[in-house]
Amino acid sequence: MALVAGVDIGNSTTEACVAEVGPDGAVEYLSGALAPTSGVKGTADNVEGVVAVVRRALERARRGRHELDAVLVNEATPVISGLAMETITETIVTESTMIGHNPDTPGGAGLGVGTTVAFGALAECEPGEPVICVVGEGIDFEDAADGINAAVERGVEVTGAIVHADDATLIANRLREPVPVVDEVTLVEKVPLGMPAAVEVAEPGRTIRTLSNSYGIATVFDLDAEQTRMVAPVARALVGNRSAVVVRTPEGDVTGRRIPAGALTLSGERGKRSVEVDAGADEIMATLRGVRPLTDASGEPGSHVGGMLARVRDTMSELTGTRADAVRIQDVLAVDTFVPQRVTGALAGEFALENAVGLAAMVRTSRGPMRLLAAKLREALGVDVLIGGVEADMAVLGALTTPGTGKPVAILDLGGGSTDAAVATDDGVVRSVHLAGAGDLVTKLIDSELGLDNRELAEDIKKFPLAKAESFFHVRMEDGTARFFTDPLPADTFARVVVLSDTGMRPVPTRHSLDRIRQVRRAAKHKVFVVNALRALEQVAPGGNLRQLGFVVVLGGSALDFEIPDLIAEAVAGFGIVCGTGNVRGSEGPRNAVATGLVAAHALTAELGVAVGS
Amino acid sequence: MADTGVSTRRTLRLDERGTAGPGGRSDEVVIGLSPAFGDFFTKTIVDIPHAEVLRELLAGIEEQGVHARVIRFRGGSDLAVIAHAAAKLSGSGIAVGVLSRGTTMIHQKDLVRLSNLELFPQAPLMDLDAFRKVGRNAARYAKGESPEPVPARNDFMARPRWQAKAALLHIKETEFVVPGADPVELDVRFQLADAG
Repeated sequence: MALVAGVDIGNSTTEACVAEVGPDGAVEYLSGALAPTSGVKGTADNVEGVVAVVRRALERARRGRHELDAVLVNEATPVISGLAMETITETIVTESTMIGHNPDTPGGAGLGVGTTVAFGALAECEPGEPVICVVGEGIDFEDAADGINAAVERGVEVTGAIVHADDATLIANRLREPVPVVDEVTLVEKVPLGMPAAVEVAEPGRTIRTLSNSYGIATVFDLDAEQTRMVAPVARALVGNRSAVVVRTPEGDVTGRRIPAGALTLSGERGKRSVEVDAGADEIMATLRGVRPLTDASGEPGSHVGGMLARVRDTMSELTGTRADAVRIQDVLAVDTFVPQRVTGALAGEFALENAVGLAAMVRTSRGPMRLLAAKLREALGVDVLIGGVEADMAVLGALTTPGTGKPVAILDLGGGSTDAAVATDDGVVRSVHLAGAGDLVTKLIDSELGLDNRELAEDIKKFPLAKAESFFHVRMEDGTARFFTDPLPADTFARVVVLSDTGMRPVPTRHSLDRIRQVRRAAKHKVFVVNALRALEQVAPGGNLRQLGFVVVLGGSALDFEIPDLIAEAVAGFGIVCGTGNVRGSEGPRNAVATGLVAAHALTAELGVAVGS
Repeated sequence: MADTGVSTRRTLRLDERGTAGPGGRSDEVVIGLSPAFGDFFTKTIVDIPHAEVLRELLAGIEEQGVHARVIRFRGGSDLAVIAHAAAKLSGSGIAVGVLSRGTTMIHQKDLVRLSNLELFPQAPLMDLDAFRKVGRNAARYAKGESPEPVPARNDFMARPRWQAKAALLHIKETEFVVPGADPVELDVRFQLADAG
């Protein structure tokens, strides 16, 4: 009997499996353990993590370190992914033609049309003149209301107001004849005066109807067909708002501009093609499919994408000691996303959700400094260290210990940096693929789409379900059910959307609703994991046909996620595949597959050795 | 910091309307005043008139379309006690407590007394804009929204600079405490002082 430990050094965690292997190849698994990976996968820095995880696994198996006969390590080729995001659209408002920032509490309701007049000049307006009053900074709400009331008394038709401070309801409440008031216009001094303008405010819970409609604006300002064509983007920009202002200026316009982000050149075994990054993710992925398998990718020098790929290359060359020009990018995943961006030329700090493309690039070196790592490990542990087979083969062997699986089996290893797939056919041939884009990209998408600027919080949002703290004693869960507590919840969770993390409730300090956060989270997982799962299986399936796969076992850290495996199962359901989260050795869940596979492979060779020997 | 640029244009008139009871409206925020607020004292520690403080708190609440009720608590001069007692009387369970020197707190009835939703401990840093935002956030809590907390400013020179004055103001305020006194509902009126 030999006591061996299989050790899998992953991008983020190192896992171990301790087992007794009999001379006839019989394996008795004793324990498993995991610890964070120290340093970059496949480098000598990993020793610390490996030692920790082996010690832990031995403790669990109640065995001493001196009893250990061998440590089996996988051939860990460093797989590094780089992430970048580029905004590709921009909204520009010229001549302050519209205000569409949607303040919380506009005042009054209805539509007002008139010429813009500064509050100070209201006294000089002629009776019968329809005006929109522009109330600047520092004017008290009572004074504003008194001034407007006085003007109305003189016969001036004040039909609406645009206000600097958060005073709309306060002013509207004090007017004898309420008019629509739009407030919180921070750059109110830039509103063009003496121009025809329209102010519209809808009742609470409703959206504006006139200024969000091109023909509505045309009616208000008496526009001809050509002019109406010009204002169409303004109307479109205001759709869904509760309040809005449109000022008719000679050249005023709202434009959406595409920002050139540079071209991405994809070189594959089937040729070389270029694609503009601002064409969007679908176009990039279609181009990639055309040249697959990828041998390298490069970005236009001087462009954003060029800079991003250069950064990935530099990191990789630094880590592995290879020259930067020898580093090859072997896969890219592009996803469409959006980021909240300040609108150029806006008067009230409006944000627009601009389109962006997120890119994950993956690099694999030919071989990491494994020999060095093995030597260091031998020194640290004082036992024989054997470098085992290819990671994918080991993962398949480990996955097959899941009860209910059979060949042909495909595994999907959903990690932090990459999505890996491998397929083992009946005759034992294993084909594998490493794809860019996994958990880290999902975190980044959540972070940027919600404008959090807090990676750790984004990570929690990715991993745990949400709830809304409706009182100090109950929360409303994502699915609408209520959960009650006898002890009051922490004060900082009150009225907020919270993440139900394993360390307790964590408030999300934004004004996004629970539904919105949930939708962003699920969309991000879909864009990365479902797309990658299909892409990966397509590349390893015999003849590229997913129907040829009998079983798909989902493995890796992200397989522990509460919804990713379901999203994937749903996506492949149509292909008649049995798909589920792995349960390695019937006890480890989706973890420990490679470590278990290493032990299984070792036992197989032991058996063969016996066979050959006898 | 002492010069807040606020003129004393308005005067505050607080008329007592009898013992305050619990509110029945769920769209209500209670403003709990300390024993000497707008009475013996008329200004905060940095000379902001109480008339303007209360007006901004009320404006912040009104802008959100929420109803406000002003109640004076003579039973104590501790902000947590005042704010929590006010929250217990508030129809929405949300209250703002404010001391004469300007220290302010947003409280909720189910919280333990010494906890709070938002606390603004440094009275010298409270300006009118901050009071407006406190009123606004209190109203948003009452509506069940999730407001971003008002940025609590911190100036570590405020403590050495103002501590003595704050202590004196607190001692003076405490002299107006009537142990066991019932909370009193107030009618609030602002009058424009004649410029002359």
